[in-house]
Order: sequence, then structure tokens, then C-alpha cells
Amino acid sequence: MLKSKAMQSPRTQALMLIGPAFAVYATFAIWPMIEVVILSFQHWNGLDPQREWVGLENYRYILTSDTVFWVALRNTITWTILAVIFPPTIGLLLALGLNEQLFGRVPMRAIYYLPVIIAPIAVATMWRWMYDPFFGLFNQVLTSLSLQAWIQDWLGDREIALYSMFVAYTWQYVGFSMVLFLAGLQGVDRSLVEAARIDGANRWQVFRHVTLPALRVTLAIVLVLSTISSLKAFDIVYGMTGGGPAQSTQMLALWAFMQSMQIFDFGRGSAISVILLLVTLTIVVPYLRWSQRDEGAAE
Amino acid sequence: MAPVQVSNLRKSFGALDVIQNVSIDITDGEFLILVGPSGCGKSTLLRMIAGLEDISDGRISIGNRIVNALSPKDRNIAMVFQNYALYPQMTVAQNMGFSLEISGVKKAEIQKKVAEAAEVLGLTSLLQRKPSQLSGGQRQRVAMGRAIVRDPDVFLFDEPLSNLDAKLRVQMRGEIKALHQRLGSTIIYVTHDQIEAMTMADRIVVLRGGRVEQIGTPLELYDRPANMFVAGFLGSPSMNFLKGTIEGQSMRLPGGERLALPAVPSGHAGEVVIGIRPQNVIVNAEGGTAAVVKVIEPTGAETYVLAEIGGIEITCVVNDRVDFEPGQQIPISIASPNLHFFDAASERRLTDDTVSRAKLA
Repeated sequence: MLKSKAMQSPRTQALMLIGPAFAVYATFAIWPMIEVVILSFQHWNGLDPQREWVGLENYRYILTSDTVFWVALRNTITWTILAVIFPPTIGLLLALGLNEQLFGRVPMRAIYYLPVIIAPIAVATMWRWMYDPFFGLFNQVLTSLSLQAWIQDWLGDREIALYSMFVAYTWQYVGFSMVLFLAGLQGVDRSLVEAARIDGANRWQVFRHVTLPALRVTLAIVLVLSTISSLKAFDIVYGMTGGGPAQSTQMLALWAFMQSMQIFDFGRGSAISVILLLVTLTIVVPYLRWSQRDEGAAE
Repeated sequence: MAPVQVSNLRKSFGALDVIQNVSIDITDGEFLILVGPSGCGKSTLLRMIAGLEDISDGRISIGNRIVNALSPKDRNIAMVFQNYALYPQMTVAQNMGFSLEISGVKKAEIQKKVAEAAEVLGLTSLLQRKPSQLSGGQRQRVAMGRAIVRDPDVFLFDEPLSNLDAKLRVQMRGEIKALHQRLGSTIIYVTHDQIEAMTMADRIVVLRGGRVEQIGTPLELYDRPANMFVAGFLGSPSMNFLKGTIEGQSMRLPGGERLALPAVPSGHAGEVVIGIRPQNVIVNAEGGTAAVVKVIEPTGAETYVLAEIGGIEITCVVNDRVDFEPGQQIPISIASPNLHFFDAASERRLTDDTVSRAKLA
């Protein structure tokens, strides 16, 4: 049966190979995405057989009446700016350090990468314990160092909870940037570094004129991936603060989830998701276009 | 411009000595070529002079200043790399002016120097291009321009022509030599190509296994190689070596064949090795020893004949066109005044005063 010519053509074979995966992807990824967009124009509590079409009402409510949405948006933007600056910078410094002929650099690379492979929810739990105001590691250490004045309610204080959480996030994701930068550093031409040294460049100038230009592509990838992963930050917030205290650490992804799954307003939850998607696209698409155009010019 | 002195230099990686007690005096304005097979340490030696490799022991001085502890940028040297090592994001002009720019030279001054160097190398029309828009030969010129702009004490070249095609290589060879004559600067040049070494160098240093085998002018090394390695390394096709015993005025090969000699080493009993360049083998000689033709390689101008005497292969270069057939027997003679005698055990050249040259009967 399978011997027929049509079945043996490369086109048919390709379709047969892609087909099952595409069916799964379409059912569980593409269709839900389309559903979310449709839901954002409807009112639905998740159980009612009838979905009421409400047009832009969900968006109007979120943008004008939902104060938590604006807190979540501001937190998400703050979070993203921090996430694009700190983990990649620290990751780059670690990569530069661990790229040198250093004793024990291989185990050190593994150690810095280790947090990346831990489930974010486990990281959240672990850090929540360490931040515990009474029994947590940080305050215990501060007490033993007689630095009681520095003791904080790390996750309970509305002013600092977001930043406490961000430290945990940085701890987890620094290794991710580091590994990408380490891979990029292997592509730096040794003889270019030597040529620059002979030309009289100091360490900073070698970095600025040889290493950094060679890391351009890696840098673009790290920044785009950092932006995307920070915009959708969810597990760590869910596990550490649940958006509290008093919504002070609320973020768009978590707020969309809570609207849908806890308040059972799937329309508003979907509308928030759509806004998050638009925010992501407006940042990532221009950046990708810019970096690709620039890359073409460099060739 | 400056003299360079390398004294008792050593470099080891753990137990492995890659440079063993090398001493070379390079005079001001000399074009010195380090040549040897791969792994002989020639590039390592050059990189030690550049300051890119540590020195295990010994001393390097440039312009009478010991530079052992100085970083590359403080040695006032310029280096041209095998893969050119041009900064990909910079234009030709920026590449050439980079060293001046980071040392704080004024813009106008940089522009003037870059323009001058570009003029010399014929790069003026390419100054605004990126390296990726240049051909191999043009990149090579930019790399040289970057070196010239700095006006260094010493130019270091690390196999600069090995990535170019054969024709361009011959052309660049001439350009580098002309450049040296024009600038009069000290050049230390590494190559594995003996033709580059022979054609360009004022003096050649032949290295093997991290040791200096011989230092001398190209013709000194060609005419009086100190040992079999140097003799075999320089010259193309490479020298024939015949091992045998001297008996009277001839040499007896292990197979029993005899070759008449114009000269014999005196006071040297037992085995010797005779070296004879393919150009000096006389083919179709009267009274020669019978050899079997194996392969004929016509090159146009001359013909290479690979023949065999008693299992020993001999390459001959014949200036005329020949119509030998493989398998044919031809008489061959090595009765040339340009014979080299080597001790069979030490492979060293037997000094000429031990060789008594006598007219053949």
C-alpha cells in the first residue's frame, strides 16, 4: 500500500513526519491562543454553556477600572528592565571569568548553571524560606553578624518585596545567560585578541573592540530571551508572594491567571493575556528586526 | 628599526621542550626567516619575540632593551598573522589606524599615516571597505598596512602567505621583499615554505624540534648545508641521499653497485652518505651506473626523472626534454663537483678539508 509513488515522494514523507506533531501543536498551542483572543471579547465564568459577546468591554474595564492591572503592568515593566540589565550583565562577567584558564572552572560552570535546571516553583519555595522574617537564613545571618538594623520583612514589605523576589530570579537565571555567553566566547578569534594586544590595547580595549563585537549575535539572543522570559514571569511570583502583599508584587501573567482561574472571569483574564502578548511583541519584534538588519550590514 | 637578540632561549610545556637553547643575533634592518617543518617551534619562537608566549628561560632583547617581562604593546613590534586578524567591524582605514587611535594620536595625524601606508600598498581606493568585502590578497595588504602605520622597531610575520593561492603568493613575496627594501626595517618571518625562505631572506634559520639546525644566508645553506636535515629541507626537488661505503675512488651501494666519485672523504672509514641535488645528477653519462627509470614528470622547462639504482631511488632534473620510458635502463653518474658528504651516524656534514677532490681517471 505504501509502495505507491505518491506516498514515497519527499513531500508526502515530510508531511507524514510533521503531521502528528503539528496536530498536537495546533490542538494544544495554536487553538488555545486563538480561543484566548476570542474569549477576550466575551464574558464567561468558565462553566456557563453560553458565552456572552461583549465586544471591547473587558478591555475598557481593565484599562479604566482595574487598578491592580496598572500595578501589575508597572511591576512587569520594572521587572523586565531589571531582568534585561542584571542577569545578562552578571552572566557576562561570570562567562568572561570562567573563560580564563582558571583552576576548577569546569565544576564552577556547572555550579553556576545548576539553578537553571531547578523547577522555578522549587526555587520560589526555597527562597521564601530563606526570606522568612523569623526563621529565614538572611535574618539569622544578619542577627549573628549583629546587623539587626538591616533585618527586613523581605517579602512582607510592599516597598522591597518585588526586589527581594528579583534577587531570587537573578540567582536562578544568571547561569542561563552565562552559558550562552560562554558559547559565544568560544567563537572569539584568538588571533584577533593577540593582534589587539600587539596594537597596544589594554584589557578593556580588547573587550570593547574584539570580544564585544564578536558577541553581538549572542548578546541579541540573550536580551531577547531575557525579555521574553521576564515578561511572562509567573511561577516565581506565584510561589513566593502570590502577588502580595496587597498586590504590590502583582504581574500581568499572574493577574491574567488569577482573573481566569480564581475570580473565574475568563474574559478579563484573556484580555490581560492579549495585552501582555501585545506588549511582548512591541518590544521583541522591533528589536529582532533591528538586530537582523544590523547583522546584514556587518556582513 | 632595531637589532634583535635571542640568547639561550627555552620554552617548555611541562616536560616537553618546544624551544631548546636557541640563540640568534638579528642585525638592524635584516630580513630573517625562520623555517622548518610543522611542529619545529618556529611560530612559538616568533610569538615569544612578540610577547604572546611566556619565556621559560633565556633572554630576548629588542634594540638593546631586554623585553622578557614587557607585554606585547610595550615591545614596539608589529605582527602580521596567517589569518590576517583584521577587526571585522572596522573599515580598512580604522583597522590600519587602530593602534594609533588607542595610543591617543591626533585624528589628522592618523589619517595622514594611514593614507601614506595605503598609498604604498595600493589600498587607497579600499579604505572605507570592511575586511569581509576584500579578497585574500587585499586583506593581507591591510594586515601589512596596519603594521607599517605603527612604524615599529621590528616586523613579525607568521606564515602570512600560506592562505593565498600560488600565483598571489609569488606576487606578495615580491611585494614584501620590495617593502623591506623600501622601509629598511628588521623583519622576522616564519614560513614552512623553503622557496619563500630562499627567495626573500637575508639569512635563514632552519629549526627542527625546537633546535637551530643552521643559520646562514640562503646560498650558504644551499651550498654548504651543515647536516642532512638542512640539505634535504632546502632545494626542490629535495636532495638525493645515497648511503654506502667508499672504496678507492668510488662508492659501493649496499646492493653492490658502484658509483664513480670525483672526490672522496679522507680519513673516514666505513659508511658515509653522499648528498647530491637532482640538478647535479648526470643522466645518460658515459661510463655511468645503470639505473631503471620509474617515473617521468615533465614540468615544461625541465623534466624530473625518478630512477632506481639497486633499490635506491634517485631524482634527476634534466634540462632537455627526454623520451625515456618507464622500465628503461639509463646510465647515471654522480661525478659532480657539487657532492655533499655526511657522516652516516651523526648525519653531520664532513668538513670540506677532509674531502680530497681528485680528478677522475
